[in-house]
Amino acid sequence: MKDISGTALLGPLAAMVIVALLVALTTPRFLEAGNLSNLVLQVSIVALVAIGSTLVIFSGGIDLSPGSAIALLSMVFAVMVKLVGIDFWLALIATLALGALLGSVNGFVTAYLRIPSFITTLAALSAFKGLAFLFNNGSPVFQVSPLLEPIFYGHVFSLPLPLVYVILAFGAAHWLMRYARLGRCIYAVGGNPRAAHLSGIDVRRTQFLAFTIAGLMAAAGAILMAARLNSGSPNYGAGLELQAIAAAVIGGASLAGGRGHVLATLLGALTITIVQNGLNLNGVPSPLQSIIVGVIIVIAVGIDMWRVELGRAFGRLLPARASTPVHKEGA
Amino acid sequence: MPRAGQILWELRHIRKAFPGVVANDDVSLRLHAGEIHALLGENGSGKTTLIKALCGAHQPDAGSILRDGRPVVLASPMHARELGVATVFQEFSLVPTLTVAENIHLGRWPGWRAWLDWPRMRDEARRAFAAMEIQIDPDAVVGELSVPQQQLVEIAKAIALEASMIILDEPTAALGLAEIAHLHALLRRLRAQGRSVLYVSHRLDEVTALVDVATGLRNGCGVSPAETTQIEVGAIVASMVGSEVKEHYPKERNATADLLLEAEGLATANGVREATFTVHRGEVLGLGGVLGSGRTAIARALFGLDRLTAGRIRLADREVPARGPKDMIRAGFALLTEDRKADGLFVNFDTPRNITIANLASIVRRGQLDLAAELRLSHAYVLKLQISSEAERKSVDFLSGGNQQKVIIARWLHADAEVFILDQPTQGIDIGAKVAVYRLINELTRAGKGVILISADDDELLAMSDRVALVRHGVVTRIEEAQRLRKAELVQSSEITEAAA
Repeated sequence: MKDISGTALLGPLAAMVIVALLVALTTPRFLEAGNLSNLVLQVSIVALVAIGSTLVIFSGGIDLSPGSAIALLSMVFAVMVKLVGIDFWLALIATLALGALLGSVNGFVTAYLRIPSFITTLAALSAFKGLAFLFNNGSPVFQVSPLLEPIFYGHVFSLPLPLVYVILAFGAAHWLMRYARLGRCIYAVGGNPRAAHLSGIDVRRTQFLAFTIAGLMAAAGAILMAARLNSGSPNYGAGLELQAIAAAVIGGASLAGGRGHVLATLLGALTITIVQNGLNLNGVPSPLQSIIVGVIIVIAVGIDMWRVELGRAFGRLLPARASTPVHKEGA
Repeated sequence: MPRAGQILWELRHIRKAFPGVVANDDVSLRLHAGEIHALLGENGSGKTTLIKALCGAHQPDAGSILRDGRPVVLASPMHARELGVATVFQEFSLVPTLTVAENIHLGRWPGWRAWLDWPRMRDEARRAFAAMEIQIDPDAVVGELSVPQQQLVEIAKAIALEASMIILDEPTAALGLAEIAHLHALLRRLRAQGRSVLYVSHRLDEVTALVDVATGLRNGCGVSPAETTQIEVGAIVASMVGSEVKEHYPKERNATADLLLEAEGLATANGVREATFTVHRGEVLGLGGVLGSGRTAIARALFGLDRLTAGRIRLADREVPARGPKDMIRAGFALLTEDRKADGLFVNFDTPRNITIANLASIVRRGQLDLAAELRLSHAYVLKLQISSEAERKSVDFLSGGNQQKVIIARWLHADAEVFILDQPTQGIDIGAKVAVYRLINELTRAGKGVILISADDDELLAMSDRVALVRHGVVTRIEEAQRLRKAELVQSSEITEAAA
């Protein structure tokens, strides 16, 4: 078992290291302490949101809505604190709960009303965005609260707080997927929903819960996003759903469902962020960055798809190693 | 017996290896014109690999393929078809959203470039069906046909090719008796036309009734180019399994008088009209009847997959609420579905996870799954059910059909099931694995479990059941001791009633 999860992480880890090396070669500024801690802050939001996207993908669905959910939730949070005057911590908890509620709406429509998740969350992408603009006449809310910025910029034991959130969240997600019944059921439902039903698993409830967790993680992302600039805006989170899905896919999650490793998603998120960071440091304009990220996603999926062929090609290049290690599918 | 036809196709010393396994090693085979040649062997013996070499899906590492005495290279499936090889695969290669005529011409549509010559397509489809003496509308959408009809379309696709060699891989697995008879008649006609047919089947009755020559494969090698029309069942089984199997059906009678399951007046909206029967501890109750008679629907009703509109189910003197599989599993029912791959296995899981999935509660310790305990209990089942040791290393996707079936049985044993509903448990698995499944049934009954057996193989049904309930149009019409029923009677009674209805 252990070696299986080990190999599932090896590929994404190698990809991340290679990308980091390439970036470090092109610019010495990459390895400066300031840049690295900036990188941690940058990756934290995508990484947290990507946990939810990954779980939904494991369960056999897809979630296109977290970007818009972040816009809506950051606005709701900012409005609650600044304009309504609700207690900061109460508002924070309410925002997390509302995120879970948004996710559960996606889950309900997908699992119980049997609308394909691609359509459900595409509709939610549109609807959540629209809702976000209904608050404060569609204008951003600035200077939300003095309590907000420390959530993003604070430290504990000299560790930046976002890093702490990422470690805790991925620790919990890893436990969930490996040691909890729900996690096992998510893999089962994603792998073979009919067999899962016949094995006594409540397929709909499992899908519903995966989306609910995704909503909760989007809310966590929304709070960090708001804390970063001490503001809420209906324009936050645009395109984040794609980065989150890309992180999962680069980490090796199968879009067919049932296969993948949640910790690999963190590696995937790091890979994307490092690429973007490297392109920024090299002064590559942002439209070109988007194009490059797109190409990387295709290559990442391609490496997964062409594993056998690539293995053979490398085997020929390295005749010293007679046998190419067969990549085992992690469960 | 001397064979009249000349040699149409010949395989010489074919060898094909995959990483870690030699699938074919020095296999030679001759196909004469006007001959039906059976290819026999356990799962994993290399039959599929050999077929794939013949239909151009992959290239042998060594050896040669000769057509009319001249070596040919079958570079691709398209190329093999052009050279006259038609293949009917076990798994359908039909596109469900296209019409029958379109499917029959898939990939070689007549007509100029993008334009399809519809009248010609329909005509050729009709001609193929006429040759098969069956009636299927060429304009019907394939996905809306029944499974046997789809299988016939698949076969028609091969017929329409006018091929000199027709390969059929388990073509009768989905067919009912009448359709099998049709198919056999058709194959005999093809034989009379001087074509050669390579036939893969696990059903021995078919092999003995139909084929002229049999070649057995074991561990990738051709073991018995039994060039004789005298085919003896025991010898075939022995050549494949490797040891003499005295009895095909090692039935143990373990039925007790202890009542386990009472189904009373079951009815569902999905084809069960009136099913009343009982199962005792240690008993195998067979459900007999033709395809579509409602046997599978009864299984679904018992497992809570279809809502009961009437009737009740009592297990060990307790009323069972049939609200869904979850309830029925908890009550003690297990369902092994007909389609192992589609609704049984989790190919994304290894063997331990496949075994525990229906009873995860059993491995929860202090709020989390105990993965070490899971491995231990999986290992115990691998030993107990004699599952191939590969099961502990490979993904279940790569196991043979018999081993996959055992993994699923292990799942239900682990779920503490009392009543095992086995829907076609030996379909598509080789004879060695079939015997293993029969032994498992014995083991279940010995342990006092009840078994409900559905099988399209009437011999198997009669041999392995203690009693047989005859099902027709969703009604259990008669329950009889299996030993008193004759195969003909079983077939007759259901067919006559079918025709009368």
